[in-house]
Amino acid sequence: MSVAVSHAAPVAAPPPPEPAPAKVDYLNVSHTIWSWLFTIDHKRIGILYLISITVFFLAGGIAAGLVRLNLLGYEASGHILSEDSYNRAFTAHGVMMLFFFLIPAVPAVLGNFLIPMMIGAKDLAFPKLNLASWYVFILGAALAIWSVLAGGIDTGWTLYPPYSTRASQSNVVPGVVGVFISGFSSIMTGLNIMVTIHKMRAPGMTWSRLPLFVWALYGTSLMQLLATPVIAITLLLLTVERIWGVGIFDPSLGGDPILFQHLFWFYSHPAVYIMILPGMGVISEVLTCFSRKNIFGYHAVAWSSMGIAVVSFLLWAHHMFVAGISFYAALLFSLLSMLVAVPSAIKVFNWTATLYRGSITFQAPMLFSLGFVVLFTIGGLTGLFLATLGTDIHLHDTYFVVAHFHFVMVGGMVMGYFAGLHFWWPKITGRMYSDWWSRIAASIIIVGFFLTFIPQFWIGYHGMPRRYPNYPAEYQIFNVMSTAGASILGLGYLMPAVYLTMSLFNGQKASANPWSATGLEWQTPSPPSVHNFDSTPVVVCGPYEYAIGVDQMGRGLPEPPGPGAAGDPASHHGPTGPSGPMKKETEVVG
Amino acid sequence: MGEEPTTTPTPTQTPTPAPAASDDPYGIRKDLDDPITLVVVWIAVLGLALLTVGLSSWIGPTRYTLPLQLAIACTQAGLVAYHFMHLKQGDKVVILTALSSIFWMGILIVLFLADYKTRHMIIGG
Amino acid sequence: MSASTHSPVLKHHFEDLGQQHACERLGIWMFLATEVLFFGGLFGAYTVYRLWYPEEFILASSHLNRTIATVNTVFLITSSLTMTLAIRSAKLGDRSALIRNLLITAALGTAFMVMKGFEYKIDFQERYVPGRIFQEEHDAAFRAVFPTSGPALTREQAEQYFKEHPEAHQRWAWELVLHNYGKDPNDPDYRDPGKMQLFLLFYYIMTGIHGLHIIIGIGCILWLVWEARRGMIPPENYSTVEVVSLYWHLVDAIWLFLMPLLYLAGAGMHHH
Repeated sequence: MSVAVSHAAPVAAPPPPEPAPAKVDYLNVSHTIWSWLFTIDHKRIGILYLISITVFFLAGGIAAGLVRLNLLGYEASGHILSEDSYNRAFTAHGVMMLFFFLIPAVPAVLGNFLIPMMIGAKDLAFPKLNLASWYVFILGAALAIWSVLAGGIDTGWTLYPPYSTRASQSNVVPGVVGVFISGFSSIMTGLNIMVTIHKMRAPGMTWSRLPLFVWALYGTSLMQLLATPVIAITLLLLTVERIWGVGIFDPSLGGDPILFQHLFWFYSHPAVYIMILPGMGVISEVLTCFSRKNIFGYHAVAWSSMGIAVVSFLLWAHHMFVAGISFYAALLFSLLSMLVAVPSAIKVFNWTATLYRGSITFQAPMLFSLGFVVLFTIGGLTGLFLATLGTDIHLHDTYFVVAHFHFVMVGGMVMGYFAGLHFWWPKITGRMYSDWWSRIAASIIIVGFFLTFIPQFWIGYHGMPRRYPNYPAEYQIFNVMSTAGASILGLGYLMPAVYLTMSLFNGQKASANPWSATGLEWQTPSPPSVHNFDSTPVVVCGPYEYAIGVDQMGRGLPEPPGPGAAGDPASHHGPTGPSGPMKKETEVVG
Repeated sequence: MGEEPTTTPTPTQTPTPAPAASDDPYGIRKDLDDPITLVVVWIAVLGLALLTVGLSSWIGPTRYTLPLQLAIACTQAGLVAYHFMHLKQGDKVVILTALSSIFWMGILIVLFLADYKTRHMIIGG
Repeated sequence: MSASTHSPVLKHHFEDLGQQHACERLGIWMFLATEVLFFGGLFGAYTVYRLWYPEEFILASSHLNRTIATVNTVFLITSSLTMTLAIRSAKLGDRSALIRNLLITAALGTAFMVMKGFEYKIDFQERYVPGRIFQEEHDAAFRAVFPTSGPALTREQAEQYFKEHPEAHQRWAWELVLHNYGKDPNDPDYRDPGKMQLFLLFYYIMTGIHGLHIIIGIGCILWLVWEARRGMIPPENYSTVEVVSLYWHLVDAIWLFLMPLLYLAGAGMHHH
């Protein structure tokens, strides 16, 4: 059922009555620790994950700080860590950030929280499985932390044999088993989300009316489901070889260590898309809301999420161009790697077209999202240098690679996560945070980010290898700049921790729809009641009908916040005045 | 599907009284398996198993042996999937899931072979 | 929408029983997809090495116990039948038939594991285990023909020695030594013991992980028996049996591929 809009007789559609703040919402329904630890409410489970991954973000950040401090000096005398400790520091940074922060960040926090609400369901398909997934995550995380506290792993997060199976004297097994276990959490979450999207959509919520965040999480879950088992078997094989001293990667038996790399990257390449795709989903939601426009090219963006999900499985050996694979395989993978730039670029073009002639305001979610678009584009373009076989010979294992993936992972995904956190914070907690401080934090993060990682492209191009603590003296100035930037970045990341936490205590109470967004999740009170919706919503139109000012149930929207803070009555007008071309005086029929 | 159960179904233990309208309000018995079909499939899969063992021992390890064994195994798996795993009752998404899993394993194997079968080739040769 | 009666089996977050069943079915199939990829990694690795070392894989496979494997195959295929019949019993509300079919399935699965236990015991007794054990056994047979001090035996003397002392060395070891007699390692007809160990690694790892899945399956089936006895599986809840059944069938299907890849590669080989 599509919405037919009549312009003949404009009649103001009143915004829906503000859902009365639920006396009993999912947060205050019970306060005991057991009600949290044994919850099967997807919203509470999202909060459990939020706390857990924040701890890992902090831990991974500390490891990064150690690495960057160590790199202030270019030779052994200038280092704060021994070379062995340095290996353990960057390994810990990689393992914790990738497996215990980036992979679960949006899917397990925002996905868990929002997917049922966005599709009009009461919960995910398997609520107890959802809780189990958190416990599995915690178990894996505990093992990984134990391995770090016991001295860490020194193999790099990539764990290549034969070093990891034979020579390394570090705590490989507990760390690897921890990652293995946490992979099951990833699979459980992905499975839950996919079944929910397939079978639990509200009446009228066709695939073409799904928010793009849901499409993105669907693609992510597809990758989680199909790629994670392969890393599971790979880590198992690694552990067998390390413990029993005999394995299929052992060259003395005729085994091939590069087979490990094939198996490892079969997961780890889609894994990086598991990390970035949810962030892209967030951007689609935020950009449309803060430019008060429908997404440009809904189907292109939706299908590009599926394109990324599928094509990501065909590229992995571009991490192995110089490892010893055949030249013809390298050619094939180089060609295929170019392919994946297409759906990513489609998204960037469509986002840009969405912004064009939109009524744009610059609250923190928007700042983070705009930062995402710029930084992800730069990161993605530099990926093409690495996908090209010839240039990769020069750039492989240099800081160019490090800069590339930090641009897409941090400049892309972490920004996307923060954009989502800031966008949905009022819905999750029922509180508004400080508009001013959040904009300052976003700006500091963007500035700090550039200062940290742009110099790394330079030194990488000029040959500084990654994972090396020693480097030629002429690169020192760039490393110092990078460390200075990292300090600013760290400050920028600490700020949300402060003002978001403070908002819990003295933030302004949020209305149900402070950003005047169209999604179903905004039609519940803030914070939502335990069962999300009092009655099953019926969806009548697409997800971004900002131009005609209706939400997905066909009702009118409240006043958009305008350029000031949401909920600030003085800023309830857009830049074009109180009633610009976006006025909601259109009768909705159909 | 036509075949009467050989034992009288015992009354269920659920406390919910079934509505008078029909005695199968949730359509549970709509897709009941025919036991004869199941037994025939069982015999077929067993027969194929004995065939593959016998054939392999008879032919020995030739270049046709492995493809033959795999073809038999795929047939067996297909029968199990279609009849025992109820793909016959087919929900589109379920069938797509089953086929996708095979396809993705195929991606892994084919692209592994892209490397391992071409390692010995000399560039430009 | 369902009739006005609300089945006690219906979980509160679902709209109706049909949605619940559809979700459970799709959910287990998606989990099965992950299992296919899990074993798929192993199959991929196996493919690579079988491609590179076909002769060693065939030779190594020929020493495995095909009889036990065939019996086990019969057990598993039959257990798939009884498991499917169990779903039927559940749908018909026939509790005794449901429990009977479940117990038969569990029994067949247990019989599979018992046979597998015997099989591994025989393998260990024959010292057909990769790593130090294989190395020692092969070295012992090799040293019998090519002692570190003293003259080497001729081929005929070696054959004679092994025939007269069948308990001194394992069959696979002296067959390998005899086959490689006088051959340079670069000879295409040379059978590398290391590569044979690669095959054995696949044998133990693949059958081991498969066996673990069988044990988990038996556990789930026994849990179903317990639930059925408590009356928790009325016809509306047949879906719970179906979920376990689908898992069980996949484990069976995986075995149908392990069988030819591991046990039948060397079938029909003519030994010395």
